[in-house]
Amino acid sequence: MSDTETTLDPVLMSVMANRLDGIVREMTNTLLRSARSAVISSARDFSCCLVTGNDELLAPAEGLPVHIFGCHIQTANMREYHKGDIQRGDAYLDNDPYGGNTHPADHTFMVPVFFEGEHMFTAVSKCHMADIGNSIPSSYFVRARDVYEEGALVFPGVRIQRDFKNNEDIMRMCRARIRVPDQWYGDYLAGLGSARIAERRLEAFCEKYGKDTVKAFMREWFDYSERRMIDNIRRLPKASLVNKGRSDPLEGILPDGLELTVKIDIDPDEGNIHVDLRDNPPSVDAGLNTSLGSATSAVVGAIFNALDKDLPRNEGAFRRLQFQYAEDSVVAAPTFPHSCSVSTTNVSERLVNITQSAFAQLGDGMGLSEGGAGLGAGMAVISGQDLRREPEPYVNRLMLSTNGGPASAVADGWVNYAIPVIAGLMYRDSVEVDELKHPIRVESLTLVTDSAGAGRRRGAPAQQIEYGPTHAPMMAVISCDGQHSQPRGVLGGLPGTSGETWLIEDEAQPERMPNVVQLTINPGQRVRGRDSAGGGYGDPLDRETERVIVDVLEGWETLEKAKDIYGVIFTGEIDDESLEVDEAATTARRKELREARAA
Amino acid sequence: MGYRISVDTGGTFTDMVLLDPDGKFHVGKSLTTPERISEGMFSALDVVAEAVGKSTKELFAETDLLIYGTTRATNAIVTKQTARTAFLTTTGFRDILVFKEGGKHGPHDYSYDYPQPYIPRRRTFEINERIGASGEVVRPLDETQAREVIETLKERGFEAVAVSLLWSIANEAHEARLGELIEEIMPGVPYTLSHRIAPILREYRRASATAIDASLKPLMQAHLTGMQTDLRDAGFTGDLLVSTSVGGCQEVESLVERPINTLKSGPAMAPVAGRAYSALERMGGDVIVCDAGGTTFDVGLVRDNQLVYSRDSWLGPQWTGDIIGASTVDVRSVGAGGGSIAWVDPGGLLQVGPQSAGSVPGPACYGAGGTNPTVTDAALVLGYIDPEYFNGGRLTLDRDAAVNVITTLAKTMGKDVDETAHAILVIANELMIKAIGEITVNDGLNPRESVIVAGGGAAGFNIMPIAHELGCATVILPQTASALSACGMQYSSIVFEATRSRFTDTNGFDRDGVNKALDEIEADLMQFRDSLGTAIDATVTIEFFAEARYRAQVWELDTNLPKPRLKTDADVDELIETFHQTHERVYAVRDEGSPVECVNWKGRISIRPFDPPPAPDPSDARNAPTPNATRSCFFGGNARVDTPVFRGEAMKIGDEVKGPAIIEEPTTTIVVYPDMSARLSAAGDYILDCR
Repeated sequence: MSDTETTLDPVLMSVMANRLDGIVREMTNTLLRSARSAVISSARDFSCCLVTGNDELLAPAEGLPVHIFGCHIQTANMREYHKGDIQRGDAYLDNDPYGGNTHPADHTFMVPVFFEGEHMFTAVSKCHMADIGNSIPSSYFVRARDVYEEGALVFPGVRIQRDFKNNEDIMRMCRARIRVPDQWYGDYLAGLGSARIAERRLEAFCEKYGKDTVKAFMREWFDYSERRMIDNIRRLPKASLVNKGRSDPLEGILPDGLELTVKIDIDPDEGNIHVDLRDNPPSVDAGLNTSLGSATSAVVGAIFNALDKDLPRNEGAFRRLQFQYAEDSVVAAPTFPHSCSVSTTNVSERLVNITQSAFAQLGDGMGLSEGGAGLGAGMAVISGQDLRREPEPYVNRLMLSTNGGPASAVADGWVNYAIPVIAGLMYRDSVEVDELKHPIRVESLTLVTDSAGAGRRRGAPAQQIEYGPTHAPMMAVISCDGQHSQPRGVLGGLPGTSGETWLIEDEAQPERMPNVVQLTINPGQRVRGRDSAGGGYGDPLDRETERVIVDVLEGWETLEKAKDIYGVIFTGEIDDESLEVDEAATTARRKELREARAA
Repeated sequence: MGYRISVDTGGTFTDMVLLDPDGKFHVGKSLTTPERISEGMFSALDVVAEAVGKSTKELFAETDLLIYGTTRATNAIVTKQTARTAFLTTTGFRDILVFKEGGKHGPHDYSYDYPQPYIPRRRTFEINERIGASGEVVRPLDETQAREVIETLKERGFEAVAVSLLWSIANEAHEARLGELIEEIMPGVPYTLSHRIAPILREYRRASATAIDASLKPLMQAHLTGMQTDLRDAGFTGDLLVSTSVGGCQEVESLVERPINTLKSGPAMAPVAGRAYSALERMGGDVIVCDAGGTTFDVGLVRDNQLVYSRDSWLGPQWTGDIIGASTVDVRSVGAGGGSIAWVDPGGLLQVGPQSAGSVPGPACYGAGGTNPTVTDAALVLGYIDPEYFNGGRLTLDRDAAVNVITTLAKTMGKDVDETAHAILVIANELMIKAIGEITVNDGLNPRESVIVAGGGAAGFNIMPIAHELGCATVILPQTASALSACGMQYSSIVFEATRSRFTDTNGFDRDGVNKALDEIEADLMQFRDSLGTAIDATVTIEFFAEARYRAQVWELDTNLPKPRLKTDADVDELIETFHQTHERVYAVRDEGSPVECVNWKGRISIRPFDPPPAPDPSDARNAPTPNATRSCFFGGNARVDTPVFRGEAMKIGDEVKGPAIIEEPTTTIVVYPDMSARLSAAGDYILDCR
C-alpha cells in the first residue's frame, strides 16, 4: 500500500470510477445483445474488463467470477510478444491456457488504448465460443488426453487487427477449422466491437481528465480498493481453514475422481488471506486440468462470496490475496501438453464449493454451503443435422435447466444458479426458442420436489428435463461433474441431491448414463437429465415455520420431509390452502428429533 | 372548443392539468384517495376550477374530454390485492412462472431469497395437450381432463383464470377451446388467453403477461367502470379516455378487456410530454426526458420524434420481478432522489444511496426524526433551498438539523461542511448521469445532439450540471414540470398495438406468411378503430414493425417496415437494410453477410381525436429581471457567493437570469449554476443553457 499523500480529490475519484464502470457496462451490454451463440447471449459466458497499460486489472464488469483473474497476464504477454510494435488500431486474440487465459474456448480480444502516444489501457473482452475447432463437436472435451487430441486452435497473443483492419489470413484459418464459422465470426464481431467501444470511450475519458489525473486516479483507486480489502479482512477471525472435496469419477481414466484441497490462512493483523493450492494431484491425461487463470479465479470468486458484497475487485484488492501453487498439478499448475479443455467448469466448480464452504468453519453467519454442480443434460452441447428445410448442421449449448444454488446464513438457494462458476448470472433458454432453432422437442421441465439440501436456510431444488430430437439423430455432449459427490451442507445443513442422466426408449426401463458422456439420441428416444440441488445452511430444525409452510404449499418440499427433517407438523390441506402450522405438535416433534439426534 | 382535463392519479398525489379554451394550462394537485379515486380527483378539480373562476359543475359541463391515468393496477400488484387467479399451462411445464428467464444482480451477493412466482405453484394446473413449433398437434387436448381441472377451479372459487400453453402462437385451437370451457363452466369469471393478450415468442413472457392481465381484470373492471359512473353522476358528458403503457390512451371498454395496458401508463406519458415541449420550443426530435421525484429518477427517450418502446419492462427489478411482456414505453428508473442517504464506506469514500430516508422520517431537515444526511439536506446547507419556501411554503425546513448531520459526515471525511454538502450533490449527480448514459447508449442516442426535458419536483436542483457533464447544451424545464405525465396526456393519441408471431429469415423469406400476419394485424387494428365510440373522423396513422435480429442472435431490435406489405424481393431488401442500420446504430457494427431473422410482427395504430394545445409565438424579448432576494450559496470552489433569488411568479416572458442564481417556483426550485443561464420562454418553459 502506498504511503504517499492522496493527491486526487476523493470525490473526483468516485466520479472517475463511476465513469469507468459505465464503460465496462456498455462493453457488456454490447457484447451480450449482439452475440450470436447461445453460450454468450444466453449463458452469459463472457466477461469484459479494463486493464491498465502496466497490466493491472483495473475495472471488471459484472461478469463470470471464473474470468476475474488472469487477463493481466494475457495483456502482459501481448506486450512481451509484440514489444516495440504495438500501436493504436491494433487488436489481439489470445486463448492460451498456458498464458493466463482460462481455457481455449475463451477467445480473449484485447485492444490497446493509446492517449498522446502512451499505452494507457487495454480493453479486454473474453467470450466462450460455441466451437473452437476441437476434434469433437463441443468446446468442452473432458476426455482429451492432451492438447493435440483436444484439437483446439490456439492463439497466443496473436495480432488480428492493424489499423482497425482484420488480418484476413487469420480469419481464413478460423473459417477453415471452426464449425459453423459464420456463428464464430458473428461472435468475433461482437467481442471485438465491445473492446472497440471501450477504446472510444477511454480515449474520451483521457481527453476529459488529462493523462496525469488518469494516472493518479489509477494509483489512488488501487489504494482505496486495497484499504477496503484490509478493512474487511481485519473484521474476520484469525484462522487456518482446510477443506477438501472430490470431483466425479471419469470412466476408465479416474475411477475415484480427484481429491481436491484448498488451505486458507486468514491473517487479520496484517490484513492478508493466504491461499495454498499445492496439496492437489498432479496433472491428469484428460481435459480436467485447470489453468492458473481458471483455478485462481474460482478461488478468488469464492473468497469474494464470503466477503462484503460491494468490494471493488481489482489489482488493489488482489494485493491482499497471496497464492501458493504446486509445480505440477491439476489445480492451477498443469504441465504442457496436458489439456485444460474444461478448466473453467468441472474441477473449478468444486474449487468454488470447497472454498466458499470453508469459510463456514469460521462460524454461523460466514461462508456458504455448496452449490449444485455439473453441466447436465439441460446444459449439454447438442449437434446434428436439421432436416426441417434444407439439411443444415447445427451445434449449440443448451441452457434449459440448471442446478440449485447454495444457501447462505440469511437466504435460501437461488433457483437459476447454473453452476458455481456462473453463479446465477446466466439467462435461461426459452423452450420455444430452442424448439424453433433446432429440431428438438422438450417433453417436460420442472423443479424436483424434496431434492433441496435442508437447513435453516435451504439449498435451491434441482430441476429435471426430458427432451429428444424431432426427426434425426442428435448428439448430446454432457460433461457433468455433479452426479457422484453431492453438494454438501454446512453447519448442520444437509446435502442436496446429485444429478443423474438417463436414456429413455421404453419408459419402463430408463437406462442410467455415466456423468460424462457423448450420447446419440435417436428419434423415439429421449434423454432425461436431473441437475443437482444446493446444500443447506444451518440446522433444518431451526428453519422458521413460516418458511417451511411456503415450501410445502408450493410443493418444493413434501409434508413428509417437513415432518421428518424440519420437524414441522401441519393441520389442514394444501389443496384448499387451509394448511396451518400445528405449533404445539411442531415444538414436540422438534424436541423429539433433537433428543433422538443427541442419543 | 371547451376545456380539456387530464388526471394522473399517483400513489400519493393526484395531478390535474386543465387546458382552457385559450390554450393555457392550469395545474391542480391533491392527495390521492385510493378507496374512491374520484374524491381525490374532484378535490384537484376544485383547485383548477377556482383558477378559471368556475364552479366544478360548470367546468364539467364545459369539458369536452377527460383523460384519466392511474397507478391503480400497479399498486394492486405491489400491495397484493389482485384477484385469486389460476394459471393453466401445458403438462410438464408448470414452472414457467417460477423459472422466469434467469439473471441475477451481484455475482457474489447471496443475501436475498429467490423471488416467488407471480401466481403460486399451488394455483398452477397442467392441461394434457401439446402443440409443436410449427403449429402441429403433438398431443391433442384432453377435454375430459380439462373439464375436470376447470370444475376444480370453480369449486375452489378462483376469481380469474390465465391460460398460456406452449406454442399457442402457432396454433391457438387448444387455448381457444379452454376459453370456451371456462365460459361454459365458470360463466362470468374473467379469463385471459395468451395468444390474444401477447402473441409473442417465448413462453415466460407470454405467460407472465397473461397471468398479470387475468389477475387485474376483476379489480380494474370495477375501478374503471366505477370511475366512469362517478364522472357521469357528477355531470360530465364529454369523452372519457384512459392512458396506457404505450404512451397513448384508449376507451374504458377496451382497457377493461386488457387491463395490463394500464401498467406504467403514468411514466409512459412523460416522454410524450417531453416530445411535445421540445417541439413547442423548436429544439428537435431527440429528447432525453427526466422525471425526478423524492425517491426515484426516471429516464425516457424520444428518438427522431418517436417514442422508444421496450418489451423488456418489468414490475419490480429486472429478472427478479415479473415481466410485463406487452410492449411499453421504455422508461428506466434509478433509486436516487432528495431522500437518498450519504455515507462514507470503509475505504473512506463518500457514497450516496441506495438507501433512502423516504418521506418518513425523510431528510433530517424535515424535523421528523431523520438522523441521516440526505441530498435534500445538502441542498439546504448549500443555500439552494429557502427553508421557509419549500414546496411552496407548505413545509418549513430545519436548517440547523441539516447542518448537524452534514457536519458529522464532514468530520469523518476531514472536509468542511460546504465542501461535504457539495460532494454529496456531485455523487448524487453521478447516479443520474449513469442512468441517462445507459439508456441513451442502449438506444444509440447521443446526448450531445439531444435536448433534455426535466420534470418532477426535484429536477431543478441538479439538472444543469448533469446536462453539462453529458455534453447536452439545453434543458427545458416547464413551469408545469411537477405534473409532467398529466401534461403528456394533453398531447397524446389513442394508440393500440396488435402483434403476431411469424418466424422467418431472409434466406428463405416467407413473404406470404408474413403478409398474412400483417393482414391479420391490420384487421385487428381496424376492428379496434371501428369499436371506438369517438374519433370516427380523426386522422389515423398505422405503422408496422418487425422484431428482427441477425441469425442466431437472441435479442431482437424493433425495425420499422418500410412498406405496409412486403410484396417483392426489393421490399425485403429494404427491410434488411433498415435492420442493418438499426443494428449499427445500437451496436456499432453491421454484419452484411448474415441472414436476418424476423420473430414477431407488430402494428400500431394512432388516432388523433383532438388537437394538441396550440404553440404560442416565440418571443425574442430578453430582459434582466430584478431579484426578490439574495442568499449565500456554495457552488464548489473556495467560497460562498451572494446569489440572487427570483420568484417564478414574478418572471415574465423573455426574462433571462445569469448564474449563479436561484429561481423558486411553488413546486420546484431551479439552481442556475455559475456560467450558465436560464430564460422564460413564450410557452412558459424555462430554457436552461448548460454549456
